[in-house]
Amino acid sequence: MKNVLITLAAVAALGAAEGALAQSSGNMTDQQQLLISQIQTDKRAIVLSTLELTDAEVAAFTPIYDKYQVEMKKILTRSSDVLNKYASNYDSMTDDAAEDILEEALAVREDRNDLLKDYAKRLGKKLPATKVLRWVQVESKLTTLLDWQMAQVIPLAK
Amino acid sequence: MKLASLVLTLIVAASPLASVAQDATTSADEQILIKQIQTNRRGVYAEYLKLTDAESKAFWPIYDEYEAQSKKLVDRYLAMLNDFAAKYDTLTDAEAAEMLKERLAIERKRLDLKVKYTDRIAKVLPGLKALRYAQIESRIENLTQRNLYTLIPLAR
Repeated sequence: MKNVLITLAAVAALGAAEGALAQSSGNMTDQQQLLISQIQTDKRAIVLSTLELTDAEVAAFTPIYDKYQVEMKKILTRSSDVLNKYASNYDSMTDDAAEDILEEALAVREDRNDLLKDYAKRLGKKLPATKVLRWVQVESKLTTLLDWQMAQVIPLAK
Repeated sequence: MKLASLVLTLIVAASPLASVAQDATTSADEQILIKQIQTNRRGVYAEYLKLTDAESKAFWPIYDEYEAQSKKLVDRYLAMLNDFAAKYDTLTDAEAAEMLKERLAIERKRLDLKVKYTDRIAKVLPGLKALRYAQIESRIENLTQRNLYTLIPLAR
């Protein structure tokens, strides 16, 4: 699993690096969308292999998880937009721009947290609690790793 | 970047979990860094925020209050993790459900606290320094979690 995680993180880091260099071109937005899709595809495979679900559990889990992924994609897209705004303002960041970026970044974080909680509850109605706990652990690990990799390529505000 | 190599107090505090760790990877170097950050977390913020005297006077009381509030949640989180460690081999669904509920509640409170105090700090610092503070805080939090995860096995 470690190798897959490293690959996933590298892909995420690449995306962040692209975002940091983005000059708000349409192509870059398309690339970021592709990247988000790739991250989500990889993440789905990791999650499924890690949870060790029975066939019946897989049938119950995947429709809910796929809805979660759709909602998460919206959040990742917003996160990507924040990064692009940060990158385009980086060299001449005003206090007002910094405040806006901070506010949006915190809002994204809150929504991400709420989404995890919401879907843990949904999954709790279909799966044993030990499996749901395991899912939350895996999902949180992956999110933390992605955040970490992004932090590696995003400089602190000047 | 210096921040990239910082590891936090929480790892040391979580040491009872080492008994159930599947792949604890905290190296000797990291242990040294942990000790450094234990004694110098304020120094990290001081170095990276470069506050003026007036900004320092406004910032530190809020930050100290945030730290005190955060510590309560850290203690609660560690209690949950120790409970997880104690029950790990025989964890029932009912116990897992309780732990999940507790974990999600702590994470919600932790995020609420982060947002509340970041907002307060943003009111007393220029936007740019507030953003920088939030970035440093998030990186330290991420390091804490990332290293903690190396100590905690997945539920069976």
